[in-house]
Amino acid sequence: MIESLGSLMQGLAVAISPMNILYCFIGCAVGMLVGVLPGIGPTEATALLIPLTYGMSPVSAIIMLCGIYYGGMYGGTITSVLINTPGEAASVVTCLDGYPLAKQGRAGVALKVAAYGSFVGGILSIFGLVLLAPPLADWALKFGPSEMFALLVFGMCMVVGLMGKSMIRGLVSIFIGLLLALVGMDTVSGAVRFTLGSNQLVGGLSIVTICMGLFGLSEILVGMENLSQTNKVSSVASSKLRKEEWGPTVGSIIRGSFLGFFMGLIPGTSSAIPALISYSMEKRLSKHPEKFGTGIPEGVAGPETANNSYVGGAMIPLFTLGIPCSPTIAILMGAFMLHGLTPGPTLFIENPIVVWGTIASMFVGNIILLIMNVPLANVWAKVAQIPNKMLYPVVLIVAILGAYTVSNSMFEVGIMLVCGVIGYLLKKLDIPMAPIALVFVLSEMMERSILQSIKINKGLSGLYNSPICMTLLIISVIILIVSLFAEYSNKKSRFLTSDDE
Amino acid sequence: MKNSKLFVLFLVVVFGTLVLSGFSSVFAADYPDHEITIVVPYNAGGASDMTSRIVATGMQEALGQTILVVNKPGGSGGVGMSEVRAAKPDGYTISYIPVEIVMHETLKLSDLKSDDFDYIGQLTLVPSALTVAADAPYNTVKEFVDYALAHPGEVTIGNSGAGSIWHIAATYLEQVSGAKFNHIPFDGAAPAVTALMGGHINAVTVNAGEVLSGVEAGKLKILAIMTEERDPNMPDVPTMKESGFDVVIGGWGGLGVPKGTPADVMEKLSAAVEKATDSQEFKDFISQRGMVVCYKNSADFTKFVADQTVFFTDLLSKMELGG
Repeated sequence: MIESLGSLMQGLAVAISPMNILYCFIGCAVGMLVGVLPGIGPTEATALLIPLTYGMSPVSAIIMLCGIYYGGMYGGTITSVLINTPGEAASVVTCLDGYPLAKQGRAGVALKVAAYGSFVGGILSIFGLVLLAPPLADWALKFGPSEMFALLVFGMCMVVGLMGKSMIRGLVSIFIGLLLALVGMDTVSGAVRFTLGSNQLVGGLSIVTICMGLFGLSEILVGMENLSQTNKVSSVASSKLRKEEWGPTVGSIIRGSFLGFFMGLIPGTSSAIPALISYSMEKRLSKHPEKFGTGIPEGVAGPETANNSYVGGAMIPLFTLGIPCSPTIAILMGAFMLHGLTPGPTLFIENPIVVWGTIASMFVGNIILLIMNVPLANVWAKVAQIPNKMLYPVVLIVAILGAYTVSNSMFEVGIMLVCGVIGYLLKKLDIPMAPIALVFVLSEMMERSILQSIKINKGLSGLYNSPICMTLLIISVIILIVSLFAEYSNKKSRFLTSDDE
Repeated sequence: MKNSKLFVLFLVVVFGTLVLSGFSSVFAADYPDHEITIVVPYNAGGASDMTSRIVATGMQEALGQTILVVNKPGGSGGVGMSEVRAAKPDGYTISYIPVEIVMHETLKLSDLKSDDFDYIGQLTLVPSALTVAADAPYNTVKEFVDYALAHPGEVTIGNSGAGSIWHIAATYLEQVSGAKFNHIPFDGAAPAVTALMGGHINAVTVNAGEVLSGVEAGKLKILAIMTEERDPNMPDVPTMKESGFDVVIGGWGGLGVPKGTPADVMEKLSAAVEKATDSQEFKDFISQRGMVVCYKNSADFTKFVADQTVFFTDLLSKMELGG
């Protein structure tokens, strides 16, 4: 452990050389930018910038590319808060409280707590990476298809926390998500489902397109109805937290850090999972769960922290075992190899400068991002003051562009428009949107993992033979029962007081 | 008066432009006179994408024109390749063509056929490697197959998706050896390798490049590689052939243009590809990713694709897929 800290100091010396700080800054800035623009995510941006790194030293190249990755996590918050359009699955839950905050003129608060949370999450997860890497990576490998399935069941139970006031409407939303996830080829059997003969749909729908349609476009459509009314925030409220908000926000940041870090370790997860679990957990722990969804800072802070500390966690399997946990990490792994480095335990021995330089640069990068984001939060917050008449066309263009870049085709734009109309209708029916997007992400993985588990074990024995799996499933069942019970007693009391809203 | 003069001028300009542009396409000696697009039918950042981008840089130097690389993912490559098939056969729209082209028809992934394209040249060979956990009780393919024969249907082999090239590779080994495996599809090669490291499956038949980190970490061992000859980057790893199983199978990638592209354009492109694949940068990249540089010229590649079409159609017809 002491040894690791010593090496970290050496790495820090590399990371704070002026050139490397510059590269780190470029990476973070590009990451922020692609985070703000939906469509091009950190994965694509990293891939596209790899050719630019040919002439750079390996350390600088990796430092810059990593910067894009975690910089993107910061940037994704901005569109979710300001225009209710998550650029990626991880930011879906950020919309739930971030956008209401912006509507109250408190976009600055949302962006600031997200920036501070991301910073804390980022830094804590890097410490985790330094101190705990090897033993944790081996533990994470225990997550095979059966364990993955149980984790996803757990995630699904967490979606229940996002369903809003009405159980029925929440279920409708969940089923829409399941339905959308069925489109495309099933990896396990190879069967092609619900593609209506279009080969563009063989790969399934894209979460980015769905999010932009359901969230962004539908928001515009609803807003168009009362364009003439001046319901815009006239002044930006103070971007400081209120006194009573400090406690829960700090708590949610700390819990989010740990959650994100551990989820990052598990191969095959997505950063949407820790964000979702963090939100549900905060809601459950909160003294005023009914306020979630109306715009409270801890609803933004927890998930945003979790998706940033996820990054640090996800680096561990890459550095120690050479396993890419997520699509972006897989691209980073390609970049390592392009520079003649093979990620894995030998990398620590053969090229400690690269490994520790990169890790140390993540400290630097997080500081850069914090410095960039906190003052910028006030600037961004002003976007909330732009009259809708001017804002909507811009958002529409960004959304269309974003959908187009998903696969460079107008087909995705069409899907986005359809999702927008569906989203509009669902909004009119008061059906919550977030479960659709999250269930979509989770159920695809869930179906795959259960089928794999059944195939490997020739039955369901994989589920009850694994302690991790059983534990997760039991917790899930308990959560589900508690939620159902709470819902039931809630309904009853609401019925008695005949207060429907 | 003034208007009619303007109109005449307009006609002259329009007509002139049409004639000139017509000429330029007749005399392909001018080729290429504007930028060329290479469509990669997969996501940015994957092996196919990176291969294309490096080749594009090399071709750009050789042809003296900008080459854009555009990703059109979807439908196991079907979306991007269909688009190129429908493009004008003038050499300005090129497609990266993966091994999957010879399977689309049989697997009913799209209506693409391998003779929808004219082939410029082959770039790479992506060999399959039989890899198992380092502490597995078998050290050779022979021992592995014997174990599988003794435990029919119990040995689990991970691949990157049902009907994927690595699934087919494992099935081919099954056919040649007579063993019966339990094929487990994953969403890509990396998750399959991760599951192997975690001890959730017994083997994978994915590309050697995907398992190199695991081998270096001491968690995995490669039993054999499914190529004709040993890979110079892994001189200790025997081929399947040496081990007594005639299994030569793997993915490959090349470049193609829509059918009917003029012969002189093809010549220029082919020469540019040959030059690009000969660069040190390309060679380094390909070998680091566990692939093999395998340049074939237009004629050889066309013949190779035709042979592969017959081979895979036959193999796939014996597999149970799409259930």
